[in-house]
Amino acid sequence: MALQHLEFSYEGTPGATIPMEWFHSGVVGSGDMEVLLTRREQQGKVTVKVCTPVRGFDQVWDKVLARFVQESGCGDLELEINDNNATPFIVSLRLKQALQEARGGEPA
Amino acid sequence: MQETQQRQWDTLRQDTAQRLAAAEEIVGPGKLVRAKDVVKLLEAVIRPGDKINLEGNNQKQADFLAERLCRVDPKKVHGLHMVQSSIALDSHTKLFEKGIAEKIDFSYSGAQAGKLAQAVQEGKVKLGDIHTYLELFGRYFIDLIPRVALVAAYQADKDGNLYTGSNTEDTPVIVEATKFKQGIVIAQVNEVVDHLPRVDIPGDWVDFVVQSPRPFYLEPLFTRDPALITDAQILRAMMAIKGIYAEYGVQTVNHGIGFDTAAIELLLPTYGEELGLKGKICTSFALNPHPTLIPAIESGWVKNIHCFGGELGMEEYVKARPDVFFVGPDGSPRSNRTYAQIAGHYAVDLFIGGTLQIDEDGNSSTATASRIAGFGGAPNMGCDPHGRRHASGAWLKCGAESGMAAATLGGMPRGKRLVVQLQETFREKMAPGFVERLDAWELKEKAGLALPPVMIYGDDLTHIVTEEGIAYLHKCRSLEERRAAIRAVAGYTKVGLKADPEETRALRADGIVKTPEDLGIDPARANRSLLAAKNVRDLVKWSGGLYQPPGKFKNW
Amino acid sequence: MSYGNGQKMSFLEANARQRANWLVDEGSFTELLGPQDRMTSPHLPALGEAVSFDDGVVTGVGRIGTRPVFVISQEGRFIGGAVGEVHGAKMVGIFRLALDAYKAAAEKHPDDLDAYRPAVVISFETGGVRLHEANAGLLAHAEVMDMIQDTKGKLPVISLIGSKVGCFGGMGFVAAATDAIIMSPLGRLGLTGPEVIEQEMGKEEFDASDKSLVSRTTGGKHKYIMQDCNILVEDTIMGFRRALCDLLAQPYEKVCACRRIGSYQLVKEQMDLVALAVELNPGDAKDVWRYYGNEHPEQLPELETAEFLRVVHRRPKEVR
Repeated sequence: MALQHLEFSYEGTPGATIPMEWFHSGVVGSGDMEVLLTRREQQGKVTVKVCTPVRGFDQVWDKVLARFVQESGCGDLELEINDNNATPFIVSLRLKQALQEARGGEPA
Repeated sequence: MQETQQRQWDTLRQDTAQRLAAAEEIVGPGKLVRAKDVVKLLEAVIRPGDKINLEGNNQKQADFLAERLCRVDPKKVHGLHMVQSSIALDSHTKLFEKGIAEKIDFSYSGAQAGKLAQAVQEGKVKLGDIHTYLELFGRYFIDLIPRVALVAAYQADKDGNLYTGSNTEDTPVIVEATKFKQGIVIAQVNEVVDHLPRVDIPGDWVDFVVQSPRPFYLEPLFTRDPALITDAQILRAMMAIKGIYAEYGVQTVNHGIGFDTAAIELLLPTYGEELGLKGKICTSFALNPHPTLIPAIESGWVKNIHCFGGELGMEEYVKARPDVFFVGPDGSPRSNRTYAQIAGHYAVDLFIGGTLQIDEDGNSSTATASRIAGFGGAPNMGCDPHGRRHASGAWLKCGAESGMAAATLGGMPRGKRLVVQLQETFREKMAPGFVERLDAWELKEKAGLALPPVMIYGDDLTHIVTEEGIAYLHKCRSLEERRAAIRAVAGYTKVGLKADPEETRALRADGIVKTPEDLGIDPARANRSLLAAKNVRDLVKWSGGLYQPPGKFKNW
Repeated sequence: MSYGNGQKMSFLEANARQRANWLVDEGSFTELLGPQDRMTSPHLPALGEAVSFDDGVVTGVGRIGTRPVFVISQEGRFIGGAVGEVHGAKMVGIFRLALDAYKAAAEKHPDDLDAYRPAVVISFETGGVRLHEANAGLLAHAEVMDMIQDTKGKLPVISLIGSKVGCFGGMGFVAAATDAIIMSPLGRLGLTGPEVIEQEMGKEEFDASDKSLVSRTTGGKHKYIMQDCNILVEDTIMGFRRALCDLLAQPYEKVCACRRIGSYQLVKEQMDLVALAVELNPGDAKDVWRYYGNEHPEQLPELETAEFLRVVHRRPKEVR
């Protein structure tokens, strides 16, 4: 029953990180999640830590995150996600929003 | 000739006369019955094995009569065959537990779906068939003719005339099927008055009237609080408006219940306006009086709406908008489910709704293995009506695009109804919206049904809208292509993960699949600020105070 | 969203962090023990429950004019805003900092203390104790209550209640102990939550699904009539912020005069009110509103806030 900790790593775009040291976005409501983005110089890699009560969706997380990294073109980042049953659509949406805000779009 | 002369031609009428005579000994002369005499009355007019119609659908319920029927002596009254639109109340399943009823033919079960499934498995209920409303109504005149009907109305006079008001619903069809085949009609009413606002059911079709101690139960089933609409629902609504309503110029519409369709209704005055669609789409509806439609009505989008039933709190608003809704000469609204179902079946170009599961071939179902939920009216809207002969722009365009029509019809042109499912790839608790095998198959086995209960068959479904995109299924030229189009919008479900990116790219090039990007929609815009009303109080304001929401929805 | 646009946003729809940022002067809010500190609950993981980097409460300090304002803003979407160990400790920490700041201000500005006097502002959105870590949560309630007593005579503690979850359970007691309460009509304040009342007393007695009934018995308008809430504002961030600024601009003694409990006189007032309730035996809050001189009580829920404030008759401070 304990919480699940998942870790992923993707080849991102070197230098395509965020302008600040870290950026936080989202609320861990039911069906929702929060993400903490941290700038990390790691040859463009995007590393992700997910903390979730849901089991059996490791492959889905991997696909959603890989697509996010590819489509957003981000890199040199660490993402830490606290999830509470967010659907893949919500995960994609929240990640996109967080990156957009961090890159100087509308701050939360 | 001799034989003909000997045969009696009015045995039903004579049987009814005997029953009525037995009743008179209990209730005395006249049609008015005291509440305390109802159990005895039911014992006098109902015989073992009778087909009994207990009125109640997803809105109004003859709840008092249902509860009294549970109290009859099972030694006197048993083996009843219930024929009724819905199984909604505890008393409906209790009839079987007590051995009063033994068989049921119905259309929809909501809150009782779990109990019903259990009772069927335990052998307490013989399940007849599960119908759509129209086909059940049809059978009331062919092979499920009620012997006694227990109905509900707002008011009656002492002659038995009934006023069913804004919740007319199934009463006319039940009473006509029963009374004109010499049956007995008993009505529960909220009050007995000297003068009715109007007569909805003539008194000579009604045998007994009882004033129930409490007004009949009415469920505000079609109210959706805009405060609960999510960004994902708004995105799907934007896609439906731009990619389907606007694309086909859909003017005549039926909306299923749900937050997705509520989002569409609330986006018309904002996003729809921005796209310049006013007057071009959504002008006529077969639809219950959805409170979320108020902003679109008030902004002049809607010409007319015909309702299946009423909606608690909408009475005064409907009454004050007679150009839009159907109201009687007395000024109050009416709803006749039969006519609305016919309108929804034949006269609208688009049905749009949501479901629980869609399989790889596009069949969809709301059944789960442990619930017999039934169909209601949705399949009559969510299908291509093969009896339709009149043409409209949207219907012709959809027909012309049909990829498989030539294979069955040759070169003969034909239109096609747009049947749209708004589907979340995952619902809460990560329940997938796309599955390899519908739970309906398991229910078929468990409940001994002839067929898996399918709400909308794959060959009727024309469009699926998910966060990933719209699949224009009717354009597909083969079943294999349809499957690929479904996979392409099924997201990260097991079905969706089978999608081949190359194949999806080809489908996008052919316009069979369109992503939000293909449609020119920025998902970042999909947020609550687009809603014309953000909460129930906003709806009340839009209505100028005419909409009076029930306490359940009124957070002030 | 910009600070300016944020001011117009519904307080109810905003999240805890937005509320905290936008209640104080623009750009002045510094979050303390924020998400980057990753101080999550030590108890929830063992139970398989999701955690949050801020444990459901935003804490920090900002400014209103010349005054430091210490903010506690609860997030109802995370486990209903329930108070666990970290969440509670963060609340207590804010009080400690505020008391330190008071000491510093008193030394630095002995003659002009009112302009520099710190304040604590709590935006409540909670049902009280987090049952998953109930002992720690209960302890936190007691500690916060203790801290509030320590602030008496030193600095004002103001409650803001305008969130979806409202303020119930043990935190209802905590709110009652603060100096002043500001609510919107959508705010809810009580001890036993509606669902629990229904569960204990039955649906006939209290139907928790009847939102209108819940509003009439726990909502901002009712609490304002009953004098359980001092100031009623529109459901916007600006509405709360303005009322907060106006209140803090008052001399400290005037803020203290908003207290609803804490003196012999106030206790007597409450006891008289209980006696009156027994005598009136109201079937609905509307009966009480009528008793206090509101001729058409059924119309009060329908009125916009400004109109309501113009026409409403409140309970007189002396009961009879």
